[in-house]
Amino acid sequence: MAEQQQMSEEQVAELQEKIKNMSPEELKEFQKKQCIFCQIVSGKVQSRKVYEDENVLAILDINPANPGHILIMPKEHYSIMPQIPEDDIKHIFAITKSLSNASLRALEVQGSNIIVANGVAAGQRAQHFMAHLIPRKENDGVDFQVPQKTIPDKDLLEIKKILSESLGAKTEEVTEPVPRILPAPKKEVVEAEFSENNEIDEVEKPTKKRIKKDTKKKIVKPKTENKVTESKGEKSKEEIDLDDIAKVLGAK
Amino acid sequence: MTESKDSCLICQIVSNKIPSYKIYEDDMALAVLDVNGANPGHCFVIPKNHYPIIEHVPDLELGNLFSIANKISSSIFENLKAEGTNIFVANGIPAGQTAAHFMINVIPRKENDNINLQWKPKQLSEEEISTVELKLKEQIKNVEMGSVEPTNKPGPLHEKTETSSFADDEDDYIANQLRRIP
Repeated sequence: MAEQQQMSEEQVAELQEKIKNMSPEELKEFQKKQCIFCQIVSGKVQSRKVYEDENVLAILDINPANPGHILIMPKEHYSIMPQIPEDDIKHIFAITKSLSNASLRALEVQGSNIIVANGVAAGQRAQHFMAHLIPRKENDGVDFQVPQKTIPDKDLLEIKKILSESLGAKTEEVTEPVPRILPAPKKEVVEAEFSENNEIDEVEKPTKKRIKKDTKKKIVKPKTENKVTESKGEKSKEEIDLDDIAKVLGAK
Repeated sequence: MTESKDSCLICQIVSNKIPSYKIYEDDMALAVLDVNGANPGHCFVIPKNHYPIIEHVPDLELGNLFSIANKISSSIFENLKAEGTNIFVANGIPAGQTAAHFMINVIPRKENDNINLQWKPKQLSEEEISTVELKLKEQIKNVEMGSVEPTNKPGPLHEKTETSSFADDEDDYIANQLRRIP
């Protein structure tokens, strides 16, 4: 997460006035100069770099959600993801995948989250696009809340039409509400994961709110910690760790 | 992997055994609305092939999936008047993943919408940080760093991105964005 530089109220007011009168090009230039991450890229501000290539830099977050929390950013200044050229996006997330792989192997963790925030409402703090890669363990104290809501059929129909048209790919038209095969969430807001995730084999059963309590599927918790430790020295095939993680999800 | 594929709910959405609100489809990927989403317009982008976690997804497919997620995110800004979007991936059970099929969530955001993807920063000692850094760097050396060869071929959605109306919106958006941050 970025730090904003502290300014007095007068300075803020003055700055806001200045910004108001800027053209979009001037704004971008201005943003670049102000951007702490651009200064990290150029080396003016120190950081702990874990990966670097021509276009991408990955550093340790100084305010990490968990040890090994990595920020992956394009060296070029972009505020939000929609501005980034397609090839750069592909490259950034290919690197993110490799870093996730490395952190699963290095840090004795059993998972990772990848988070991008576009806009203040989404939790974006820095003016420089970045992907967060957060290593995850059971009971690590990180508690992301993505509530489930029952989205009304008419909204779904309308949004489906709007988005599919704007994306321009051929998808079947839907004029009638799609049958809700997945059970609706019990409450408007639950501290749960996503609907589609919850009931692979138990479509009829009530939705479990937390995966941890989801014992129905006889999920065998991985004993990955030991294996990771063992495998570290011998540079084992990456499949060992990854398959453990995949196995827990029901894959064989 | 085939065994789980048969029972995979997401694979059944791909094969149309389970009906869904599809918003994007090509040979390799599909994006559908989440009927129990966190906000209206919450959708997930999935590979048609069955891959349990991100590490299984080949770079080329992964790149396309994130590229599609990005186009959807742009469209959500433009057409659903969202104030923000999150791209969210849960990889592994402790991360909140519960279906054994990799997916990218795209979530439209508004102020005070009860979604929380923030965290309390953990205080680590200098020594802990250095150890983590060292361990990571050591493994990064062993891992093949993915890359996608740049192509000049437009992707399936490429032309759509550079409409002029969008560019204007984007500039407005960024301008507004900046004005909101002191």
